[in-house]
Amino acid sequence: MPHITYVAHDGASQTLDITAGENVMHGALYNGVEGIVGECGGALACATCHCYIDAAWVDKVGGPASDAERDMLGSAGAEVKPESRLACQIVVSDALDGLVVHMPDRQF
Amino acid sequence: MASRPVPDHVPPELIHNIGLIESPEFLAAPHDFMAALHDRCPPIFWSTGTQSAGWNLIKHEDAFFMLRSAEYFTNKGGTPFPRDPANPFRLLPVEADPPEHRQFRNVLDPMLSPQGILRLEHTIRKLANDLIDEVEAKGECQFDEAFGRPLPVSIFLDLMGLPQDMRDTFVEWAVDLLHATDPAVAGRAYWAICGYLEGAIEDKRKRPDDGAMSRIINGQIDGEPMSAQDVFGFTVFLFIAGLDTVFATLNNMWLWLAQNPAKRREIIARPDDIMAINEELLRRFAVTFSGRTLLKDIEMRGVRMKAGDKVMSILPACNFDPEVFPNPLSVDFDRKRKPILSFAGGVHSCMGAHLARLEIRIGLQEWLRRIPDFELKPGFTAEFRPGGVVGPEHLPLVW
Repeated sequence: MPHITYVAHDGASQTLDITAGENVMHGALYNGVEGIVGECGGALACATCHCYIDAAWVDKVGGPASDAERDMLGSAGAEVKPESRLACQIVVSDALDGLVVHMPDRQF
Repeated sequence: MASRPVPDHVPPELIHNIGLIESPEFLAAPHDFMAALHDRCPPIFWSTGTQSAGWNLIKHEDAFFMLRSAEYFTNKGGTPFPRDPANPFRLLPVEADPPEHRQFRNVLDPMLSPQGILRLEHTIRKLANDLIDEVEAKGECQFDEAFGRPLPVSIFLDLMGLPQDMRDTFVEWAVDLLHATDPAVAGRAYWAICGYLEGAIEDKRKRPDDGAMSRIINGQIDGEPMSAQDVFGFTVFLFIAGLDTVFATLNNMWLWLAQNPAKRREIIARPDDIMAINEELLRRFAVTFSGRTLLKDIEMRGVRMKAGDKVMSILPACNFDPEVFPNPLSVDFDRKRKPILSFAGGVHSCMGAHLARLEIRIGLQEWLRRIPDFELKPGFTAEFRPGGVVGPEHLPLVW
């Protein structure tokens, strides 16, 4: 199973095995990771699973997957940066084994 | 029913008897009425209506604050639903607060996630087409009876792992429970539903499957099996939550579609934009409200509210907040995407939202593919029913 590292705003990190095919938001929610809210459940309707892709992974993960994700990022509570993504739109795969995402200071 | 007395800490200038849910002005055109609240009322006011007594919020920002601040606003005992004193079950997950709440959500969220519901897409498309088959050649139908009601009921049965031959019985129960004006009729339906679901739970304990009911039965909270009372409350809640809301939403949308041929053609001409179209229609035709009780005193926009006060977000009005959605009543499929409140928000954000979106999207696609032109039956004027779910009672269509 690919493993994903979630780094909280205070620097604490958790590395979890996430089933390929799941998304990075669910990976956090189902494992009790604080800092990702994901209140709409992945419908691109809330911007509460905002995360920053670690610099080493930005090229591999890429930017927003759609105009809808780009639009919705505009409603994020914390600062939106070039490496900002919505975690629900990042599907876990073997290619992303080792991915590191950083959580913002707040989701709303 | 008499109004509750207004507490002393509510300033007189903030008291507005707006007639939400029940006044003739509301029932004539509820969405226009709720949009106009932004001109008529301050952003936070105390409503003295019999059904909506308490603080009312109409700003997008304030509703999200309420929905996202479980430390101030509790859901406990917040659902006005009759219960047997001998079996005082909670409706779950809605009446649980964090952190317990997340454990209940984890039982069904994987099944109801965008990926989880994809397995239902084929079934829903077939059900929608079966229903259209029955009316297409007739050139007319009562949309509510022919499509709006049976579609979500069939899907509910499928999701729960209950037999489709119960469809008409469930439709009848749902109509009696949620629409009967005679409380005795609603009461009988309620007991019939509870009795049936209790039997079905027993049956699923003996013969588990991969449906939602078996998942609930096998659900674990704090590593322990869910109690029989919680299993029951979870199952009853899914029945109540899923059926009337989608029904009312479909009726609202089809009432509008029947009167807006140019928009119908636009939807048909833009198949690739169906997600954005669906979201805009959901914004424009939200059907429900979200109530909480304050756990501690709080001040919002200079208004001081006290622990124990009821607070309700008028979600359709929040979707018409002109600061967030300019020209809010116009249906514009090219709006910049912002969070809508039709499915509420925060941890209690509607768990069936993806399923509802899928049902409505497939409904739009299949109906407009097969019956692209239709209108209201001549002489018909929509009558909205009073209550917590906003939609026209009947919808006769001709084509």
